[in-house]
Amino acid sequence: MNFLEGVRIALGAIRANVLRSFLTLLGIIIGITAIISVIAIINGLNLYVAENLSNFGPGVYVISKFGIINNHEKFLEALRRNRDLKISDARAIAQSCDLAEHVACEVHSTQDLKRGSEQVQEVDIGGIDPTIVDIEPYEVDQGRNLSDDENSRAARVCFIGQDIVDNLFGTVDPIGKSMRIRNQEFEVVGTAKKKGSVFGFSRDNFVKIPINTFCKMFGSQRSVNISIKAVPGVPLEDSMDEARVVLRSRHHLRYGDEDDFGIVSAEGVNELWRNLTQTIFLVAIFVVGISLVVGGIVIMNIMLVSVIERTREIGVRKAIGARNRDIQLQFLVESVTLSCVGGAIGVTSAFTLTWLMRTFTPLPANFPLWAPLLAFGMCAVIGVFFGVHPARKAARLNPIEALRSE
Amino acid sequence: MSSTAHAAPDPRDLLIDIVDMWKTYVMGTTEVHALRGLDLQVRAGEYVAIMGASGSGKSTLMNLMGCLDTPTRGRYVLHGRSVSELNEDELARIRNQEIGFVFQTFNLLARASALQNVELPLIYAGVAPAERRARAEEALRQVDLLERAKHRPNELSGGQRQRVAVARALVTRPAILLADEPTGNLDSTTSGEIMVLFDRLHALGNTIIVVTHEHDIAAHARRIVSIRDGRKATDELVHHPTLVSAGSP
Repeated sequence: MNFLEGVRIALGAIRANVLRSFLTLLGIIIGITAIISVIAIINGLNLYVAENLSNFGPGVYVISKFGIINNHEKFLEALRRNRDLKISDARAIAQSCDLAEHVACEVHSTQDLKRGSEQVQEVDIGGIDPTIVDIEPYEVDQGRNLSDDENSRAARVCFIGQDIVDNLFGTVDPIGKSMRIRNQEFEVVGTAKKKGSVFGFSRDNFVKIPINTFCKMFGSQRSVNISIKAVPGVPLEDSMDEARVVLRSRHHLRYGDEDDFGIVSAEGVNELWRNLTQTIFLVAIFVVGISLVVGGIVIMNIMLVSVIERTREIGVRKAIGARNRDIQLQFLVESVTLSCVGGAIGVTSAFTLTWLMRTFTPLPANFPLWAPLLAFGMCAVIGVFFGVHPARKAARLNPIEALRSE
Repeated sequence: MSSTAHAAPDPRDLLIDIVDMWKTYVMGTTEVHALRGLDLQVRAGEYVAIMGASGSGKSTLMNLMGCLDTPTRGRYVLHGRSVSELNEDELARIRNQEIGFVFQTFNLLARASALQNVELPLIYAGVAPAERRARAEEALRQVDLLERAKHRPNELSGGQRQRVAVARALVTRPAILLADEPTGNLDSTTSGEIMVLFDRLHALGNTIIVVTHEHDIAAHARRIVSIRDGRKATDELVHHPTLVSAGSP
């Protein structure tokens, strides 16, 4: 019994009644569209995150007061016990950790900027060790990075992001010009290349100043983030453990106590992200699964109707030599073809939807090439699973009674 | 019609050898005996008409001879092979290779062309596409319908449809052509055409068994077997002076 004939018959049946076929396949179409779209969105977000969110290079991690906290109780707990990190903590790590190649601090505050009559509100001011560029490089657009010398004399110089350039300086070349942070004059020594935004948050809305300058202006009570780059070739975990031991002893933690600080690495961010998307994905699979099951049941129904409608044909086929398994295969091929046609429509509409999302919304959807394969795989499984019962029913028909039916 | 039933045939050229065949249907608590110890022998090259009123058991006999069903009791040897105890798949194989069915209602697949309809038995026989096509075209040529090979059944007249059905029955070169009221859905002119076709196929050496209740159809056969109450009632040879001397028309 040939396979193509079954496919041809199924396609013929679909063509013979387009509306009925469409309604039959609606469940599958919706299910496949939904699942491929979800995959496309998550895939797009993954690529986006890999490209943009974790801008840590390899071997880099950051120690901060809170690290990544993903539940409210832990946050309250951390708020209660975590200690502020000091610049002296960073210096201690730099001194005692052999596996840390570079150690640098950064401390943040949000301030308004002024230049003449121009004003920009709520800008992230980062006080940095200028050596931080060895750990998290800023790509310089114009001018230069801050220097160690400027830090040691707490000079009022700054390195600014593109949003500041645009909002405060407009068409004026900012290098060498001055602007005011909390009524203190700062000279712009460099500007960063545009980084774009993540999920609508601009990453160009910042001003970097030397950390000593920062402390002079804002005091040294704020908790700093300590960026560390491990010695190349050393496992990141080993370097983290070393830094952890230094901090724990400085904080007088006992053996059984939990860390009172957080460590964030690219892997950590990615893992958090993976956990998050995995949950979304599982929920989506579940919801879509229901739709596919309903779609499969509809296909089973239409196949049962088809078996009844074509009882006589089955009888004829048996009379001229079709074995039970030939009939069964024919109906199975038909139901698989039917569900795969639904799958094909679903893939096409998901592809269109993905394109629309990418073009007209900030969602970075990306249609992975393996998605159609997955879709057709699922459709084949649905077709077989829900086609077996009608196909068996057809195969078991008594040829004499089948021939006699009207 | 003349002559009596022939003498004991040589078992070697027996195509159909039915001995004491019973078929019993159980309907609720009562048993219905559709066949009650029927005997029938058909040799290669014969042209037999089976007649009988409705309820006589001729349809049952037809189904059993066509291997669509197995007897409750008795022996059925078809083309040297005992088929009374075969399973469904083996019966399907016999139907495919030894039997060519022609039905009253043609039973062509509506969505397939004449050629595809004729090819169908060869698909189940596992014949390769190129050979399948050649053989189907040959069968259509035998029934003078090759030029309509691409047409679908609804584009053909009743007589043409039945000729396609005959081509489909012939295409596997079966031992027996088994026709069940082949002219029942045709007017008298086209009935005549089909019977002329049968006469010609018989003259070419095909073994034909026609089940009918019409005497003028049965008159085309060389032997008429009548069934009554599940048994053979009469079995007579028919003399055809004109047809025999004229050969195929």
